[in-house]
Amino acid sequence: MIKLTPAKEFQFPINAECINPDVLSGKTREEIEKLKIWEGNKPKKIGELFKVEENRTENPLEKEAAITIHGNVSKARRIGADMKNGEIVILGDVGMHLGEEMKGGKITVHGNVDSWAGSMMKNGTIEIHGNAGNYLGAPYRGCSEGMHGGKIIVNGNVGTEAGAHMKKGIIKIYGSAGQFVGFRMCDGTIYIQKDAEPRAGACMTSGKIVIGGFLESVLPSFTIDSIKGKVKIEENEVAEGPFYLFLGDRVEHGDGKLYVFKTKNPHLSHYEKYL
Amino acid sequence: MPVVKAVTCPVCGSLCDDIELTIQEGKVVKVKNGCAMCESKFLGYNGEHRILKPLIRKNGEFVKTSVKEAVKRAAEILAEANYPVLYGWSSTNCEATRVGIELAEEVGGVIDNTSVICHGPSILSVQDVGIPSCTLGQIRHRADLVIYWGSDPWSAHPRHIERYTAFSQGRFENSAWRGYLTKIKASQVRKKIESAVRRVFLKEAPSIPPLIRREPPPSIFREGRKLVIIDVRRTRSAQMADYFIQVEPNRDYELLQAFRALIRDEELEVDQVAGVPVEYLEEVADVMIRCNFGVLFFGVGLTMSSGKLRNIDAALSLIRDLNMRTKFVIMPMRGHFNVTGANTVSTWQTGYPYAVDFSLGYPRYNPGETSVVDVLLRKESDAALVIASDPVANFPRKAVEHLVKNPLIVIDPHMNATAQMADVVFPSAFVGIEACGTAYRMDHVPLPLKKVVEPPRGVLTDEEILRRILSEVKKMRKKRQVEVAA
Ligand code: SF4
Repeated sequence: MIKLTPAKEFQFPINAECINPDVLSGKTREEIEKLKIWEGNKPKKIGELFKVEENRTENPLEKEAAITIHGNVSKARRIGADMKNGEIVILGDVGMHLGEEMKGGKITVHGNVDSWAGSMMKNGTIEIHGNAGNYLGAPYRGCSEGMHGGKIIVNGNVGTEAGAHMKKGIIKIYGSAGQFVGFRMCDGTIYIQKDAEPRAGACMTSGKIVIGGFLESVLPSFTIDSIKGKVKIEENEVAEGPFYLFLGDRVEHGDGKLYVFKTKNPHLSHYEKYL
Repeated sequence: MPVVKAVTCPVCGSLCDDIELTIQEGKVVKVKNGCAMCESKFLGYNGEHRILKPLIRKNGEFVKTSVKEAVKRAAEILAEANYPVLYGWSSTNCEATRVGIELAEEVGGVIDNTSVICHGPSILSVQDVGIPSCTLGQIRHRADLVIYWGSDPWSAHPRHIERYTAFSQGRFENSAWRGYLTKIKASQVRKKIESAVRRVFLKEAPSIPPLIRREPPPSIFREGRKLVIIDVRRTRSAQMADYFIQVEPNRDYELLQAFRALIRDEELEVDQVAGVPVEYLEEVADVMIRCNFGVLFFGVGLTMSSGKLRNIDAALSLIRDLNMRTKFVIMPMRGHFNVTGANTVSTWQTGYPYAVDFSLGYPRYNPGETSVVDVLLRKESDAALVIASDPVANFPRKAVEHLVKNPLIVIDPHMNATAQMADVVFPSAFVGIEACGTAYRMDHVPLPLKKVVEPPRGVLTDEEILRRILSEVKKMRKKRQVEVAA
């Protein structure tokens, strides 16, 4: 198992694609230290920026992991990008594009994560114990291929446009979500245990968004369908209602499902006259 | 006195190219055809804040220096930086931007233009949705419905309505100017009579009329050009409009989506959207569908209100939907005269219109990550070059703090707020007055900028200053490579 500790506080963006179990596995410490990594516009070696150690630990948090990172790597981008196997555990904050296009394995972060975490991921799991930035699971600019599978769990809050362009998979947010959650999503499930800012599900064509807290307003292009007692989130997980079920987004001929917890949203009761 | 005709005005994105200047003893003394902004630029550009000599900061004080010294210092700053930013570009010509991009590539920096704080979101959405657009000439001759959303052309692009839209005399559409005069006069007379009646007969105190009229004015159903303004407050332009929709602040997205639903003949399950009654919206949606050639212009009121790029996403989608029923186009109201040019040059040189990061040696683009404001807010840069722009005056305070903490190079004709905080300042010639070049109008039509007077002695153009810095940087890097090899 490889343990990485930042050798200093970073100022410039670090392009850390090589911090990936597929790349590091089977390499000795010396080999790893020589791997190329970018700091700002200067090519460096991992050994110049990180202290690299091989260690065994009994700490249950990181016992199974192939790579553990101890410390603040919030400037390091693309950690675990494209990874297929193995596990990364990060004890600290981490930068953008964490696990971008990952195809398998697991990333666990005991800290906060910057934007585009799990961007376009295909499979695998990302578990974030702090907050996540904007564009969780969403594709890069101009691309309309969002998350294609896998699972993202966030215990804190997330920024705007979580799950934009999502095609499959599940995002579970145990805190609150920013605007435009599930923007243009085509399929998959997004669960928000607490509140969501307005414009949830804008332009969605299919899929499911469940909001367990307060939602200021539903977009005018959604239509109310019914009131449901409970909603399935995933295997063995059900959210207890009652929920208003809205269908939309009609401007995109969508039939996505937007569930909004009834008890916390009395201001939406005027929709009941259309039931 | 020599009169120079067909001069392009280097102020706003309308880029009027019919300005006539009278020149006397190397000075502009008279401006014809221009608006107030244009006149004040041509007559007042050579004010007291003009810089005439390059400056370098030594021990906290500016000292005058030679161009050569300043170029050397600037090149040192950029060549040594780990993550420099190069910002500005929208008030200079395309030729300078082209050199700037080469410089950014050479020093491995982030090059970004002022779109990042105005129409950046529009560009992102255009890449997502696409844009049905045309030239302003088409609009002048054919548009019979003109909508401005989140933009006050009367104040920000004063000749836009007169030259390109409602008040211009097109080949197939007449100017609506006469109608507006009559309307304004009639409404003033009516108001006077009404208030007199109230005061004299009903003994009421004069009251302020409600902002939103519940009924659409009858003019909306008349033939000919119509002007619709959608904004959060009743602007100067709104007063002339056939129809004004006052949208609640930050609710533009809801309104756009409601329009999209109405145009698809969907029924809305709410009574009002963004503070506007639904019947009212139905009427306007009807007018949109029934026009022959509609155009929607949108400004920073839409790009910078809550929702940002998704507002534009919805606006573009609305136009796409409308094109299934009639002919409709859409265009951003670009602010600076050559911000469109900065985007265009950046696109043909790097593939991306703004926020291009060369730190890995090849261009990368991801606004939010590679946009200058975000880079500064995250405190990642370690040097900056600012050209023809004043970020200290209009960036968020935290970003400015980081910008001025690190070495800063400024190229500008004026001693603006940014130049005052700089370490190296280059005076430059005014593009479009003292230097020629190319600029792109808001509809992507390139127009020539004229040189009508000579710049002050020793003052170079933006392009020339950048070229000198670039060649010095190249020299330094070559020298360093030789040293490393040895
Ligand atoms: S509208 Fe704009 S381009 Fe035209 S004269 Fe006025 S400032 Fe110049």
